[in-house]
Amino acid sequence: MKRVVSDLALGVRLAVGGSRKSWARLALQGVGIGLGVALLLFAASLPSVMDARSDREASREIVAEGNGPAPLLAEHQGHAFRSDYVAGHYLNTLRPDAPVPPGIDRLPGDGEIFLSPALAKLLDSPRGELLRPRFPQKVVGTIGQAGLQNPNELQFYAGSANIKEDGNAVHGWGVAKQGGGMNPVLWLLSVVGLVVLLFPVLVFVGVATRLAAAQRDRRLAALRLVGAAASRVRLIASGESLAGALAGLAVGFGIFFAVRPFVDQISINELSAFPSEVMPTPALTLTVIVAVPVLAVVTSLLAMRRTIIEPLGVVRNQKPVHRRVWWRLVPVVVGVALLVSQIGKITQTEKPDQWPVVFGIVLLMLGIPVLLPWLVERVVFLMKGGTPALQLAVRRLQLDSGTAARVVGGVAVVLAGTVTLQMMLAGVEKEVQANEKKQASFSYLSVKPRQSADLSGIAAALGKGKGVTAVHRVDTAWGSLDNGGYVSINIAPCAALTQEAAIPNCTDGKIYAVRESTGQPAAQAGDVVTFRQSGEKWTVPQVEVIDGTSNTGGLFITPAAARGLVPYSAEFLVVLDPAVPDAAEHARNAMAGYSWQVYSYFGGQDDTNEAERVFGVVRRALLAGSLLTLLVAAASLLVVALEQVRERRRPLAVMAASGVPRGTLARSLLWQNALPLAISTAVSLATGIGLGVLVIRVFGAEVAFDWAGIGLITGIVVGLTFAVTALTLPSLRRATGALGLRSE
Amino acid sequence: MSIGHALLGLLEGGPRHGYDLKRAYDERFGQDRPLHYGQVYSTLSRLLKNGLVTEAGVEAGDGPERKRYAITDAGVTDVERWLSTPEKPEPYLQNTLYAKVVLALLSGRSATEVLDTQRAAHLTTMRELTRRKADGDLADQLICDFALFHLEADLRWLELTAARVDQLAAEVMR
Amino acid sequence: MSLLRAEGLSKSFGKTHALEDAGITIRAGEVVAVMGPSGSGKSTLLHCLAGILPPDRGTVHYRDHFGSDRELTAMNDGERSELRRTEFGFVFQFGQLVPELTCLENVALPLRLSGMKRKNAERAARDWLARLEVDGVADQRPGETSGGQGQRVAIARALVTGPKVIFADEPTGALDSLNGERVMHLLTTAARETGAAVVLVTHEPRVAAYSDREVVVRDGRSRDVEFAR
Repeated sequence: MKRVVSDLALGVRLAVGGSRKSWARLALQGVGIGLGVALLLFAASLPSVMDARSDREASREIVAEGNGPAPLLAEHQGHAFRSDYVAGHYLNTLRPDAPVPPGIDRLPGDGEIFLSPALAKLLDSPRGELLRPRFPQKVVGTIGQAGLQNPNELQFYAGSANIKEDGNAVHGWGVAKQGGGMNPVLWLLSVVGLVVLLFPVLVFVGVATRLAAAQRDRRLAALRLVGAAASRVRLIASGESLAGALAGLAVGFGIFFAVRPFVDQISINELSAFPSEVMPTPALTLTVIVAVPVLAVVTSLLAMRRTIIEPLGVVRNQKPVHRRVWWRLVPVVVGVALLVSQIGKITQTEKPDQWPVVFGIVLLMLGIPVLLPWLVERVVFLMKGGTPALQLAVRRLQLDSGTAARVVGGVAVVLAGTVTLQMMLAGVEKEVQANEKKQASFSYLSVKPRQSADLSGIAAALGKGKGVTAVHRVDTAWGSLDNGGYVSINIAPCAALTQEAAIPNCTDGKIYAVRESTGQPAAQAGDVVTFRQSGEKWTVPQVEVIDGTSNTGGLFITPAAARGLVPYSAEFLVVLDPAVPDAAEHARNAMAGYSWQVYSYFGGQDDTNEAERVFGVVRRALLAGSLLTLLVAAASLLVVALEQVRERRRPLAVMAASGVPRGTLARSLLWQNALPLAISTAVSLATGIGLGVLVIRVFGAEVAFDWAGIGLITGIVVGLTFAVTALTLPSLRRATGALGLRSE
Repeated sequence: MSIGHALLGLLEGGPRHGYDLKRAYDERFGQDRPLHYGQVYSTLSRLLKNGLVTEAGVEAGDGPERKRYAITDAGVTDVERWLSTPEKPEPYLQNTLYAKVVLALLSGRSATEVLDTQRAAHLTTMRELTRRKADGDLADQLICDFALFHLEADLRWLELTAARVDQLAAEVMR
Repeated sequence: MSLLRAEGLSKSFGKTHALEDAGITIRAGEVVAVMGPSGSGKSTLLHCLAGILPPDRGTVHYRDHFGSDRELTAMNDGERSELRRTEFGFVFQFGQLVPELTCLENVALPLRLSGMKRKNAERAARDWLARLEVDGVADQRPGETSGGQGQRVAIARALVTGPKVIFADEPTGALDSLNGERVMHLLTTAARETGAAVVLVTHEPRVAAYSDREVVVRDGRSRDVEFAR
């Protein structure tokens, strides 16, 4: 045991060494592993962040039931402001002991308001100019962290004395958090996503521990020569990589705590978090602390299993053993089989069994890094190399394609996952865009006042809004059909109806059934509609079916045909002038005085659509994630490339001396980086698209391709290849200088 | 090894008695084989006969050891010629070469030149042998190799001496 | 008439003066040994002469295929690279073959860099390997060959382009006597047959004995030692 410790210590001493070179190596390893560790720590913080978030969300839920008269009345209001969403409560305090929501220290009085820091900042900035008329209240404070879901939330609590009791009583704030929270399949998918994203980080840590490996192998071979047994050399080597891993852990924690204060500045709301909450869970922290050194030791031992035997360190370049393919195909085949078996099983009505799907996806993803080394090897062996530069690269890869393949294997998983997700997004987005296209000819604001609101006053206010060309009143009702479906009913003159749906040749006296997003017409003649509010029944007469799907499907009834129909509520269709910028915001400002009494929804081409907003967020997050992992992979490739240049100093210097142009050498480096990346990109695109098609088929949706996204990723990969090569050039230049000829 | 040239070289530093000459010779070159008086005087009388040295006076007393000898111009020329002529490359000529180097140093001539001249001669012979080797059969090759290895040893000695000429000069002049 | 002529070459590495006012003249087709103790500047002289290293001072002139005089010391890196590739050949002590290419590809490499078709280049390379009696290792990688075989492959690579000058820096330094003799014999024979001059840096007299004459470098100064054959 004492021997073991002293051998490990000798390894650490060799790593620290004392010379400038060994310090530089240790520093490089520390930074490399440290970056990985920092990423892992952030990932390990996700559970605490999500927990704290859902805790706070639960703590500001309204408790509507209680004993005695209501102490507080609250009206929730939320509306879009351009592409942001502003939400909050209007509160009417009836008793001094009324419950105070989290994040503020007292309830706002009439005409007072508490703003979240982000909303306050927006209102102060020129960007918020059009929002200001909606918040004329006196700002009396800011909402603290306890009352916000994330640091960028646009949130407010405003006091308003004219709220009447109408099922809006508040007896307290905060409900018990629902146990479990996340749906297990969703949870599993998130875990899969994290594993996919973290895979390259692990690869990177492995590569970083192998920095300057050639030198170390020589050193250890010297130890073998003076009589150390192979097992002891293994221990000493473990000690060396341990030193790097420990330095990496220290650097990683340093980076983590240095970056943490800035997580509230992430511009994507859903990704931003309060710095104080970004704290890795103890269990995961322990896992990182243990796993990184273990990974470092294991990778270095695995990599040395051939060199460690040779006391002279002279490992002759042997023809590498060919990789066998059959077991590498197993995960891919099983994954595809699982997915194919599910095609068609999931219909609109049946609840799918999602486990085969999830397992299929995971297996297919894991299949990529397993299959890639074999594939790279095969492809490279089939190539002969047209130009000398290509030949040099191909031959180099033929000797050792494993390292490069492992590195790009990690990239491939991320790329495949990204492509699949992008395809699924694209499928959904296509529908959204179809709607958008239909709405492109519209530009309207749908305004839904409260039952109790002053309708004519609102109409008058809207009429004065800038950019408002017309205000139509639409009477609405909501009913159920005998077949279990629901139908929305809009009664308005043709001028208004044609704003909401593409009805050709609208004539008074007709009823139009616009297809729902499912493609079914909203209702057919003879259907019996039971009105939700009144319970009255009404038989649908002759209808004209309007083709084209729409999310505003329903029955559109002209006034002459609406006889005998009693609408439940009314709303306004405000037609906007598309030539006036921000007309919707002006219209909203026009009715700012009715603050909590109206809801508004913009119909037309814009980017405030909720679905689009979510897509934007997810897409940006996806892109950021894959970009980050690609960068990590590029760093790994860079390390490998630099190491190779160092190892081959002598032949490179001789080639330069014999007049081989540096350009040829540089191009061979480029090819050497590009080939594995190109193969892995091709594989991941194929897998990603294949997986996307399979998954979309499983869910019975329409297949769509996000060529722009795929092109972007391919472009990034090409760019990274060039960047990595460019960063290798200075070391190539040094190696090929005449000084490289001098023997060490 | 030519004793005559060595004595001439020693006389270049100034006239000496025969006894002095023997002592100086033994000190520098005769570590394991000191000269006999007879050798000294027979050599000197040969040099005298050839006009390379002259008698430079006799001190009081009797016997040959009282005679002082000095080098003549012809003698200087002879030394000159000897120093600048490489020895025929053959085994065991270190003694002669060493004497040449020391005498060159003593007389302020370039010892390096002596060495370079010699190495050039050695290499020429080695080239000759190498060429013969290329054309000959195995027996020729082996015989040539024997000579080549010996010559190489000489050359290595020359190299080493050349590298230490300054050190040697300091020692000789002391 | 001189093929390659250097005058007044000086080169320092930091405070070390590797060359001081050195000069040398190489005539077409002759084998010149550059000798001297280690650290005397032999290799630096070779590097400057071959245009691998630009000297601090001094000039190097080369008379090319067309008989026109070209000043190496006035060329840029690219021009010197091209000159080295087309007119010169190099043999070093070790580590000069590209480890991942086969021996045949190593020899074919300079031809392919000059734009020759792969098939033709490899045919020429195979001829040269046969001439140096190492065609048996054509399809092996350098790591799989012995030191002597590797050096012969290197010589084949140096000669394959039909260079005017071959620069050999301690070509037998890592070999035993017998292999060293073989390599020197093959190198000088092949050079004489193709009319290439050889600049041979060595500290071994037996290797230098393969030359026509030698130049001695001592403390960064060179001395031509001329001998009639």
